[in-house]
Amino acid sequence: MPAFSSEERQLLHDSATEYFADRYGPERALALTRDDGPDGFGRAEWKSYAELGWLGLMLPEDAGGSEGGLTEAAILFAAAGAELAAEPLIPCLVLGAGAVTGLGTEAQQAALEGVAEGEKILGFLHYEPGSGFARDHVETIARPTADGYALTGDKAFSAGAHAADLLVVSARIGGPDGPVGLFLVPGDAGGLHRVPAPALDGRRGAAATLDGVAVSADALLGGTTDDRLAAIDRLLDRAALAVCADMLGAMTKASEITTDYLKTREQFGQKLSSFQVLQHRLVDMRICCEESRAAIHAALTAQDENAPDAAIAAWRAKAETARAARFVGGQGVQLHGGMGMTDDLGIGHYYKRLSVNEALFGDAAWHIDRLAAREDARAAQPAAPEMAGA
Amino acid sequence: MFINAAAPRDPNLEKFRMEVREFCQTEIGPEMRRILDLGQHLPKDMHDGWLKALGRKGWLTGHWAKEHGGLGWTPEESAIFRDETDGAAAPWLAPFGVTMVGPVIYTFGTPEQKARHLPGIRKNDVWWCQGYSEPGSGSDLASLKTRAVRDGDDYVVNGQKIWTTLAHWADWIFCLVRTDPDAPKKQQGISFLLIDMKTPGITVRPLITLDLGHHLNEVFFEDVRVPAENLIGEENKGWDYAKFLLAHERVGVAEIGKFGRYLAQLRKLLGETREGGRPLSEDPGFRRRLAELEMNLSTLKAMHADALAQGTPGLISAAALKIRGSELQQAILQTMTDVLGRHGLAYQADALMAGWNGELVGPEESAGILAEHLHRRAATIYGGSSEIQRNIIAKGALGL
Ligand SMILES: Cc1cc2nc3c(=O)[nH]c(=O)nc-3n(C[C@H](O)[C@H](O)[C@H](O)COP(=O)(O)OP(=O)(O)OC[C@H]3O[C@@H](n4cnc5c(N)ncnc54)[C@H](O)[C@@H]3O)c2cc1C
Repeated sequence: MPAFSSEERQLLHDSATEYFADRYGPERALALTRDDGPDGFGRAEWKSYAELGWLGLMLPEDAGGSEGGLTEAAILFAAAGAELAAEPLIPCLVLGAGAVTGLGTEAQQAALEGVAEGEKILGFLHYEPGSGFARDHVETIARPTADGYALTGDKAFSAGAHAADLLVVSARIGGPDGPVGLFLVPGDAGGLHRVPAPALDGRRGAAATLDGVAVSADALLGGTTDDRLAAIDRLLDRAALAVCADMLGAMTKASEITTDYLKTREQFGQKLSSFQVLQHRLVDMRICCEESRAAIHAALTAQDENAPDAAIAAWRAKAETARAARFVGGQGVQLHGGMGMTDDLGIGHYYKRLSVNEALFGDAAWHIDRLAAREDARAAQPAAPEMAGA
Repeated sequence: MFINAAAPRDPNLEKFRMEVREFCQTEIGPEMRRILDLGQHLPKDMHDGWLKALGRKGWLTGHWAKEHGGLGWTPEESAIFRDETDGAAAPWLAPFGVTMVGPVIYTFGTPEQKARHLPGIRKNDVWWCQGYSEPGSGSDLASLKTRAVRDGDDYVVNGQKIWTTLAHWADWIFCLVRTDPDAPKKQQGISFLLIDMKTPGITVRPLITLDLGHHLNEVFFEDVRVPAENLIGEENKGWDYAKFLLAHERVGVAEIGKFGRYLAQLRKLLGETREGGRPLSEDPGFRRRLAELEMNLSTLKAMHADALAQGTPGLISAAALKIRGSELQQAILQTMTDVLGRHGLAYQADALMAGWNGELVGPEESAGILAEHLHRRAATIYGGSSEIQRNIIAKGALGL
């Protein structure tokens, strides 16, 4: 049974949509991301999210949360995406907190303290310079020491990692062939060097180098040296789905903005919206939004019901949504003409956000390859029912 | 004819090709080479130095007829020159003087105008920009409103231009202005004026684009007095000269020579980016895309060669080249962006400043590639948008 009733979901949707429409938008996003300070997002906004109960949406009750599912969080992410919110909601809530909630021991749940209150931001460092989108390629090593582990390796640019107070970091335990574990690493740990940078859309993140970062034995999530690759894969599927929700918000808004623009812009003595070729373009943009919404909805339901095809539904949703986003973002700029190219106007920022989101946690082509690999598995085992993973 | 009979290869052309190639290698010093390879912003003095070096060889306007001070290149020679300079990723051959206003001046200008303006264009002593588009007049250029009123020996110009590339570097601007607001057809009341950017009353305001670069500007005219001797041809005939110029613009705008360079960059990127520890150059999906892009480029080049062989390219060829060229440009840059997605699409725009020495995230070329990706979203917008090009073919060639 879902933790939230339909009414509660509607309420969440309404309050989130209203909040972001009133308090956010491209201008605010620009002011925050272009700020010279180290954050590139709104600390005050983060506090408001906490006060509104959003940071605890998916957290356990013990951590001050309301135990909602990914669907509830997705409602929030879509509203945030629609107004280009720059805060690291997905890395903190889905990945960082998701890893601790799902894999941490009882004692380790203490790491969640302060998250719901907006006092602590969690991050996630998994991908590496040599991994690309592949999720099972980890070269970072956690070498056992007298009282814990020493982590050494390079992590690729990761959204939100620049601001995280506590990072969940993957590493192979013992050596290059060891099992992959997830470790809790404080942002100020000695030997952790973060290189902050903006992404294409201005949202910030960091790449990181770990040079013998010393952590205690209880930093290993779950306290066992079991291999965590499958769990990481599931976490990243959830994060990809969360990004789909952000994309859905952003592409729906981009498509509305473009439709409105063509209704007001005149050339050749008529509204641009009167040209049939442009009408059809707007219609295709809208269809893209509807398709994405449907695919995302199906995947969210599968996630929250723990359905056997939850992973596959997430891959399909990411591939469909990423493709739709490319079309909607590209046409949004195109149909604005020169106005689409200015940094002053919102539409270009939607283009950039959609471009970044397309790639986050695997792009369309990569996800379709995963689906194709599943066909191989099906061919090898003709009688097998739908499988939960590749 | 379904099949165009190709002309045999001319060995002299190959010699010329080698000469241009060698010139690019020796004239582009290591400092400039690095800036170009990284796609950084090229400072004006370096850009100017390169164009002046071409000017000294006569190559900047090699495609002009000898009577106008050019070298009288054949279309093939012009193509080789573009091919080689683009292929060497030489600095942008800003077209505003050499392929836009220059030909307008030598075709329609007075002897005084030719004597005054052509030498500066040939040597790149003068930077030009194009003042056509206005806030209310883009695709529908003929609706432009910037007003020029005759007052004694001057025109007094009031109005605004927008999207003016390089106006912040330019010494002169060529403008379309409205001289007769009451003409029966809007095309008939337009004149073509040359305006010194230092004239009082002109204000240039930067427009920052998606890549966070400064390429474009707004140009405001407030009671700007322009000597009537700067009118090209006849008053109210400006649209004819503009159409002549647009035909020139469309062929050159695709910058096909650059695409081979992009593909080389893509190949390098694929070789250096690993997925699951293996180079992406081994990934079947990317191999297929690379092969497809190469196929598209080779077809585009063949289309271009066919168009050149016809002398002045026909309506379909010019529009089709613009459509397909800009689409291919975007497709290649998108593919590179997809590779950079593996690095999280970090975009350090500061790294585009020559001499930047901050800490890099991802491959060192990434800022340059992503900036180019963002900037070339405009390739299907400027120089006549893809929609407008299709309208041209529909009306002009298919009779729809
Ligand atoms: C990077 C860049 C550099 C530029 N440099 C210069 C320069 O140096 N000098 C200069 O004068 N101008 C320059 N321009 C301006 C350029 O020429 C215009 O942007 C272009 O003509 C489109 O006009 P617009 O921006 O007003 O778009 P609009 O005309 O408003 O068009 C908006 C959208 O509607 C579509 N559309 C319009 N009419 C139709 C129709 N009849 N049927 C179907 N679709 C239609 C367009 O294709 C476009 O997608 C530049 C533009 C850019 C982006």
